[in-house]
Amino acid sequence: MQVSLSWLQTHIDLSHYTIPQLSDLLTFAGIEVEGIEQKGVNTDLIVVGQIKDSIQHPDAEKLSVCQVDVGQGSDRQIVCGAKNFKVGDKVPVALPGAELPGGFQIKEGKLRGIASLGMMCSGRELGLTDDHSGLLILDTTAPIGKPFRELVEPDVLLDLEITPNRSDLLSHLGLARELAALTGLPLKGEAHHVETDLQTRPATPAEIRIDAPEACPLYIARTIRGVKVAPSPEWLQKRLHSIGLRPINNLVDITNYILMEMGQPLHAFDLAKLDGGIVVRHAIEGETLVALDGQNCALLHDDLVIADQTKPLAIAGVMGGEESGVTDTTTDILLEVAYFQPSGIRRTSRRLSIHSDSSYRFERGVDPKQALGAADAATRLILAIAGGKAEDLAVVAGTAPTLVQNIELDETRARRLLGIPSFTADEGHAILEKLGLIKQTANEHTSHWQIPSYRIDLQRPVDLIEELARVIGLDRVPANFRAAFAATDTADRAYDHLMSLRSALANRGFHEAQTLRLISTTQLSGALGAIPAKGLDTAAVPVKNPLSEDHTHLRPSIVPGLLATAALNIRQGATQLRFFEAGRVFLALPKNNTREEERLAILLSGPIAPSSWHAREPQPASLYDLLGVIENLVGSAVTIEPKPIENTPGFLLTSELRNGNRNLGWIAQLHPARARDIDARHPIYIAELLPSALRQLQSGPAKFEDLPRFPAISRDIALECPQDLTHAQVLAALEKAKQPLLQKIDLFDQFRDPTGQKLPTDRKSLAYTLTYRAPDRTLETAEVDTAHQTLLTTLEKALPVTLRK
Amino acid sequence: MLSDLTSLHTEALAALEAASDESALEALRIDFLGKKGKLTALSSGMKDVPPDLKKDVGAKLNEVRTAITDGITSRQLAFQATKDAASVSGLDITLPGRPGLGIGSLHPLTQIRHLAITTLRRMGFALAEGPEVETEWHCFDALNTPADHPARNESDTFYLNDGRLLRTHTSSVQIRTMESAKELPVRIIAPGAAYRRDEIDATHLSVFNQLEGLYVDKDVSLADLKGTLEYFFREIFGPKTAVRFRPHFFPFTEPSFEIDVKLEAKGKEDRWIEIAGCGMVDPAVFEAVSQSRKDTLFDPTEITGFAFGLGLDRLAMILHGITDIRHLIENDLRFLRQF
Repeated sequence: MQVSLSWLQTHIDLSHYTIPQLSDLLTFAGIEVEGIEQKGVNTDLIVVGQIKDSIQHPDAEKLSVCQVDVGQGSDRQIVCGAKNFKVGDKVPVALPGAELPGGFQIKEGKLRGIASLGMMCSGRELGLTDDHSGLLILDTTAPIGKPFRELVEPDVLLDLEITPNRSDLLSHLGLARELAALTGLPLKGEAHHVETDLQTRPATPAEIRIDAPEACPLYIARTIRGVKVAPSPEWLQKRLHSIGLRPINNLVDITNYILMEMGQPLHAFDLAKLDGGIVVRHAIEGETLVALDGQNCALLHDDLVIADQTKPLAIAGVMGGEESGVTDTTTDILLEVAYFQPSGIRRTSRRLSIHSDSSYRFERGVDPKQALGAADAATRLILAIAGGKAEDLAVVAGTAPTLVQNIELDETRARRLLGIPSFTADEGHAILEKLGLIKQTANEHTSHWQIPSYRIDLQRPVDLIEELARVIGLDRVPANFRAAFAATDTADRAYDHLMSLRSALANRGFHEAQTLRLISTTQLSGALGAIPAKGLDTAAVPVKNPLSEDHTHLRPSIVPGLLATAALNIRQGATQLRFFEAGRVFLALPKNNTREEERLAILLSGPIAPSSWHAREPQPASLYDLLGVIENLVGSAVTIEPKPIENTPGFLLTSELRNGNRNLGWIAQLHPARARDIDARHPIYIAELLPSALRQLQSGPAKFEDLPRFPAISRDIALECPQDLTHAQVLAALEKAKQPLLQKIDLFDQFRDPTGQKLPTDRKSLAYTLTYRAPDRTLETAEVDTAHQTLLTTLEKALPVTLRK
Repeated sequence: MLSDLTSLHTEALAALEAASDESALEALRIDFLGKKGKLTALSSGMKDVPPDLKKDVGAKLNEVRTAITDGITSRQLAFQATKDAASVSGLDITLPGRPGLGIGSLHPLTQIRHLAITTLRRMGFALAEGPEVETEWHCFDALNTPADHPARNESDTFYLNDGRLLRTHTSSVQIRTMESAKELPVRIIAPGAAYRRDEIDATHLSVFNQLEGLYVDKDVSLADLKGTLEYFFREIFGPKTAVRFRPHFFPFTEPSFEIDVKLEAKGKEDRWIEIAGCGMVDPAVFEAVSQSRKDTLFDPTEITGFAFGLGLDRLAMILHGITDIRHLIENDLRFLRQF
């Protein structure tokens, strides 16, 4: 909310506070100061000057050289770029040494070789208006040499963030009331105008009929006839200008003024355009109304309208209608002051996207008890400024609802919650009284408080404690250092495990990425094709109201994000791509269920090491490099069995990674066609792991195995076999033989000969070292030979292999 | 015999002197000490030495053998020393090291989150978590947010078609944790993602990261809140950091505060930077939890608690001086490598 300090000062004398002190005062009362803007100038060095002469600058087409009388005897030469003046005009002149709002220092100088001893100012340069099109031309009566600040009072514009519970602060009077409570300074001036001796009479149904009393419990109308619509007087225009409002005409300006002064929205209807009395009712579905801002609004039954006997006139509390509003020819008006239920106003305002100063206050809650006072204050202003004659009595339909009730304060609870041992009930009571609360009864343990009608945020005992804490501030509260023991939870273990995987990958040269959890179906299908592994092929969860077409679904996989990361870095010229991301994915399950789980995706492409003087172009990574990274991650105790998955468009070599019956994730090479799409120079390998599955593989502390005490004997073998025979098949066959002495099988070579010279092209050779050992004795050579020979025979029977000599 | 030995001794010493490399030394060893070597040949003549001379000749023989053996060893050591020195000569140790797999990195957000988590764990908080796809009840109702509160609007919050929503804050984990708590105290932190329907720009992401904290027990007071959070932020920003609490408003705490820390800015005056929100848990929150649990563990007349929440993205930006929040999700290597 924009607040004018000089306006505020009409209610409370804050002259003993500097702006920073005032800012701190507000800040620690829970009113955040988001901006402070100096308006006008607070210096004697900016004065009224009269332009006596003006000639073209000899060397600059756009500049003129002026002689200006600033009341110092001789004229002052000033070079000027503006064009909007004529000789004889009076303008504000900043003399050397003056500082303009924003900190600009005026100095004597030369402009294109001609001395310039000051500056003539525009409205914007003085922080007064937005007009920068030329000099601010002053009234001809302005006395030459007079400090400008005596003509235009300087002001400070405060931009305050009022929290949604404190609607009572959404006005200058409300803010002054709060500052008076906080500082102990008295309120002055028109502070009392909430109270009124305005007489009322109940409305007849023909005058005002409230069809929706729950949405509008109170409606006050005041009829004023014979007004003259004209521009507002200068003081009123200045007040509105000071907080950035544009004056329109005296009637509209007065309603706006009362709104900003008291926080009470009001509306003036042109009586001539009303067809019979006022009806407050819900809109008829499909009814339309052109609002004051020109928007043609289609209304729903939920919307509340102010209507006459035939048509809607205004969207209640939100905005008036164009047709029934005050115009230059208006002579008779009906002034409306009402209380509207906040939630209805909020719904309508949101739905129609009409956010007015009126709806802003109604939807936060306006003090119903001030309505009559506001009606009176507005009427007095109208009569004084626009003339006319008001009907003696205000016409009232309904009653002002009571929004506050007495609250009990439990002193012990207050002291305990605040944590200030020395805090006394008396101190608390003094604070509450300062804030306008009235003590009804009090005993040792509790006190009862009457709440002022404008403090609709005070509803419960805890709200009173909150007021105490707010006013005391946390400086008085001692800092207590107390901890409880916290037992490790599943979440802790999962976090620690995932963090160890993250660190392990970072230590292996991978960079951690973080991509958005919201993605598009295009990105999804582009990245995953038909989503690969079984068990991972669940559909993505759509968002009902996405912000853009790029973020329509919750990601069911991290892979699309990592591919986008790779693409971005390829565009930046990166070739060595090592990325991972750990985070949550979302899977749509049947019956509208969703599953959330953590995933760890890894992407590897390009040179296996950075280019260096050791190797300018290290060899590009292969699928086995990524597989090796994963094997290292899970540790030597866990074997990973890749199981190829058929038919995964978009990828090659897609394999599920299994350990026994447990699915650990999947690995694949991005289809080269798609790698080319993102200009990748090397194959791109991807894996997505399930950290929770990896974590379940860790079964408590490792169990110690006795170190072997007897030597091992090893034998190397080379198997010639068809190309499609896999290492896994060989391992399976060897293990199936259940040779008790066989302790270890290490593949040490795979050989193929594309030329067909050493080996037919459809064959390959796999070479293994087989290690034999007995735990309890040194093996005899003959014993090993027998075991080995038996094993080989079994192998040759089980598989299409021949032993190479 | 003795004179033969003496001249052999002289000859051997000369040969040792002359040996220019290890192979010459080996040849020398064979020449003198080998099976058919000169000393071996002489020592085989011992059997012909008269008994009264045997002792002297034997002693001389040993002396010569030792002299030759020692000479060979010392020459070998000298050759080895020369070779060892040569093996590193000319090495330029200012050349860059072998890069191995290269240097990886943890995302700055991960680092900040970890710093916050490890700090808070030292202070006795355990981790907790909850779903990001949340019910409106857990995200708003139970947190004392009015039914028509603007935050619930579809213009501000992402919804799924079934009426559930993407949580707008990690505060929903407060409710989840209290719903399933078995006993007091509850003392948890919950880092996690939250969602708001904000257009992505230099200061906003539609998906961002928060850290929530909650401490509920008998007699938890504002003093506990102040002590805990002052300590935490001084651990993060340094022991002398000024921390201030400004009264504020949140639906789920009463009283509520925003926390600022005073930070240095290069070439400028120190500035107060808003860093977190906090407050005493509103009794209405305990009431909602009690209704859901159908028991009295969280009876608002018996217990109190404090809660706090901070934006991790913002914290990362402040600590590292990151000027555009989008860097955190773009994953440009030139950015990631800086952390």
